[in-house]
Amino acid sequence: MHIPDGFLSVPVWAALDLAAIPSVGYFVRRTQRSFEDSRIPLLGVLGSFVFAAQMINFPVVAGTSGHLIGGALLAFTLGPSAATVVMTAILLVQALVFQDGGLLALGANVINMAVVGVWVGYVPMKLLGGRGPNLRGFAAFLGGWLSLMAAALLAAVELSLSDMAPSGPLFASMLGIHAVTGVAEGLITAVTLTAIQRLNRSFVLPSEAA
Amino acid sequence: MKRVILFLGGLTLTLVLLGVLVASSSPDGLEAVAESLGFSDRAVEGEPYSPFADYEFRLIDSSWPAQVTAGLLGVALMYGFGIVFGRLVRRGRGG
Repeated sequence: MHIPDGFLSVPVWAALDLAAIPSVGYFVRRTQRSFEDSRIPLLGVLGSFVFAAQMINFPVVAGTSGHLIGGALLAFTLGPSAATVVMTAILLVQALVFQDGGLLALGANVINMAVVGVWVGYVPMKLLGGRGPNLRGFAAFLGGWLSLMAAALLAAVELSLSDMAPSGPLFASMLGIHAVTGVAEGLITAVTLTAIQRLNRSFVLPSEAA
Repeated sequence: MKRVILFLGGLTLTLVLLGVLVASSSPDGLEAVAESLGFSDRAVEGEPYSPFADYEFRLIDSSWPAQVTAGLLGVALMYGFGIVFGRLVRRGRGG
């Protein structure tokens, strides 16, 4: 759901560009303070993986497609602060090099997917992660689904503020289609994290003991 | 940790090499919504200025190598970002 240029009115994209800069700066500093040294090699590995996954669209319903966004996946493996920074870098590379997502709309895409998508996606694991492996799998699924829904909801708010379409149909169709795509997001997130957890029990964040 | 890195690295290369063969080219959720509500023509596409626009390397005619080249470039850029950011994280705590 990378918003292209032209979909957002000037006040909307400008405000979100201005909001995105200090937000990402804040999460860079937070990562510097709290990121575990042992996980540093993962910054590149997970950024590459999520970039590659975002390239591959799968069919959804009625002639549409979707791809993994990976906000929850990054949050559960890098922690949410570093996840925001890595997702921002992915969106930046996609906009600059691959012309996917607008340059002026970059702030909107960062706020939707890298900030709100990541942090909303992190909530279920934070709340349910300490209560056994079954609930961890469910929390991973729910995190993926919610992260996509949160990003879709924000995109709908921004498009609505930009007067692109009447709000009712806009919200209904954005949330409707992403509720379905979100099931795939949730399943991919849960399956990938379960596989990773089999290889390394303490890997998925927050770790079980916490 | 090493096993997780190998697993994710292998998955990444599989996605780039084989995923592009099966990827759907249908409009994504937002594009489909824009089409059905009649604002898709508001997107400012402009001329492709990047030789890698739309995840295809323009200098290669055949689609699989063009997509794989673009995909590998993106993967390399993100890996490079990870190294640079990792250094910044270490330096930020004076270590």
